[in-house]
Amino acid sequence: MHDVIFVNRDFLAAGLLATLQISAIAIVCGTLIGAVVALLRYLRVPFAARFCALYVGLIQGAPLLVVLLFCYFALPALFGYKTTAYWATVLSFSVFIGAYLAEDIRAGLQSVSPKLIQAALASGLTMAQVLRLVVLPIGVRSVIPPIIGQYVRLIKFTSVASIISVQELTGNALLVNARVFEPATILSFVAIVYLIVCQAVSLFGRWLNARFSVRT
Amino acid sequence: MNYSFDWSALWLHRDLIVSGFITTVELASISLVLATVLGMVIGTCGAVGSRGLRVFAVGWVELIRSVPLLIHMYIWYMALAVLKLPAFACAVLALSIYSSAYVTEIVRAGIENLPAGQAKAALASGLTQFQTLRLVIYPQVLRRILPSLASVFSQLIKDSSLASVIAVADITYEAGALDGMTFRTFEVYAMTLVLYLVLVSIVNRLLGALLGSSMRASRPSPRELSDA
Amino acid sequence: MIDIQNVSKSYGAIPVLQDCSLSVKRGEVVVVCGPSGSGKSTLIKCVNGLEPYQAGSITVAGVEVGARHTDLPKLRAKIGMVFQSFELYPHLCALDNVMLAQIHVLRRSRDEARTRAMALLTRVGLAERAQQMPADLSGGQQQRVAIARTLALDPDAILLDEPTSALDPEMVSEVLDVITALARDGMTMMVVTHEMGFARRVADRVIFMDQGRVVEDTATQTFFAAPASARAKEFLSKILAH
Repeated sequence: MHDVIFVNRDFLAAGLLATLQISAIAIVCGTLIGAVVALLRYLRVPFAARFCALYVGLIQGAPLLVVLLFCYFALPALFGYKTTAYWATVLSFSVFIGAYLAEDIRAGLQSVSPKLIQAALASGLTMAQVLRLVVLPIGVRSVIPPIIGQYVRLIKFTSVASIISVQELTGNALLVNARVFEPATILSFVAIVYLIVCQAVSLFGRWLNARFSVRT
Repeated sequence: MNYSFDWSALWLHRDLIVSGFITTVELASISLVLATVLGMVIGTCGAVGSRGLRVFAVGWVELIRSVPLLIHMYIWYMALAVLKLPAFACAVLALSIYSSAYVTEIVRAGIENLPAGQAKAALASGLTQFQTLRLVIYPQVLRRILPSLASVFSQLIKDSSLASVIAVADITYEAGALDGMTFRTFEVYAMTLVLYLVLVSIVNRLLGALLGSSMRASRPSPRELSDA
Repeated sequence: MIDIQNVSKSYGAIPVLQDCSLSVKRGEVVVVCGPSGSGKSTLIKCVNGLEPYQAGSITVAGVEVGARHTDLPKLRAKIGMVFQSFELYPHLCALDNVMLAQIHVLRRSRDEARTRAMALLTRVGLAERAQQMPADLSGGQQQRVAIARTLALDPDAILLDEPTSALDPEMVSEVLDVITALARDGMTMMVVTHEMGFARRVADRVIFMDQGRVVEDTATQTFFAAPASARAKEFLSKILAH
């Protein structure tokens, strides 16, 4: 019964690799989007901040699957371009997690006390410098747990990409199952792999927080 | 952009949209009730139970939460197909158990954060453990965690979209069907997005109105709740 | 050095400062005292532009603070400020706290900034705690680092907003000693404080404020021997009672 995993190990490993790849790209892009949106909202940049608020509200009210399907089917139909399932996944995931990260990062930025900002300004730093040297470092480091939590969510989300035939871990596992039909073994294996990956990332997050969080 | 909009196709098949909407609401509601019950039981064990129970509760939460919801759905639908459960039941079970992990955390934290004096005073006045829970602890905890539970409901509605993958005829499933029938891809998926947005907004506002000040007082932390 | 003329400020309809005037000459130490809500902290924050004011003018070393074209960061580099709640950067060690503005405002090299920072930390008696984080320092130690941080920019004047009010009593003297030494070295200072003993020893002039107005502005000895206003007399008697 366990042979089925061993026999297909290369294919499943390739799936895991794809999962990690997609996660990595979406994490990087999503964090960039999140940081920019958070800053725009924190600084209340006219017009841009309002647009960002709409973006966050829209994404937070939508299921990931629907955002994915929208990016894969609806947008190409509307604008007449072709896209691959892989890139539709990366795009929709980045946009999706970006909205949640934006809120977490914004909360971090807002947690920096205005008096500290005043003190920094009083020493002759410009607002831009204060943001770069004081608000961002402290703000981001104070929300490491929520940010890592979003990253773990993202890794779990990648399973949804299997629905549009992306060859990540879940997708490949289902393909194997379609051939050999051992759902109990295969799904247990897949569950354990996700468990290990998620726990590893969480553990890393806990270390990161212990090392870098700012004590006041 | 050469796309010509045709929204009438949606109106033509409004019966499918409505039935999908109803299925989603049913799915989310039933799962919420089950998730809350299960979550409260395990969460209470995790907070006030014996050492073994506490370890179990923590381990259970970590295990359930670390496995993607989609895998939960497939497990019930495929791996446990021997139980011959209909797709809707599989979706309910998967959603309930998955969400209960989050409720467990919320309940456990809620009970632990209650001032210790409460339980001590209750026990000192002669109430049994069970009475203490029922009359003193739960009422206070429930009031404090309601905003977080509202978030769980909100998240459940969005998570329920995955049921479409195991052929439950919810909003997302019907959207796929509609796309296949009308080829009005953009209109169909735009409408799907709007439907979920509206549903989630209504739920948030309703719960906000029902809970009033307790909702505004303690904002739920959406980071504890997650997934598609 | 600092010239405040007829400054008024209000938060909406609530007046906070009413027609305040005072000046601080180079090398002078001026203490501003008064009951809570008298506007003294607000006034001192107007001097380096942290708080805007609606009427009057404030000139610092010839630069008009409220003018539209004033380069505030440049002005603030010349006036240091010490806060009641220390406000050290929690993510940086003491040394980095003292180095930050040197590098990014004065554009000194890291090495030069480090040398000066160590010298200043030695001057306030905290050289061996240079690598420690603010969270590991006591209140008195944090405030001394904050003073070093201010001195790092070689300011022309220093504003101190209740520098010892947030300290446990046994740490107040270590901070006051540092400030006293600064006064002896000829630093121009404007200090908002309740520490009347310190004021008596170190201040050249005492300003008494009440309800947003400057009520008295006299030489230290005169103020303590025979305050002119009834309000000041009342305040002094309450403060000196314990």
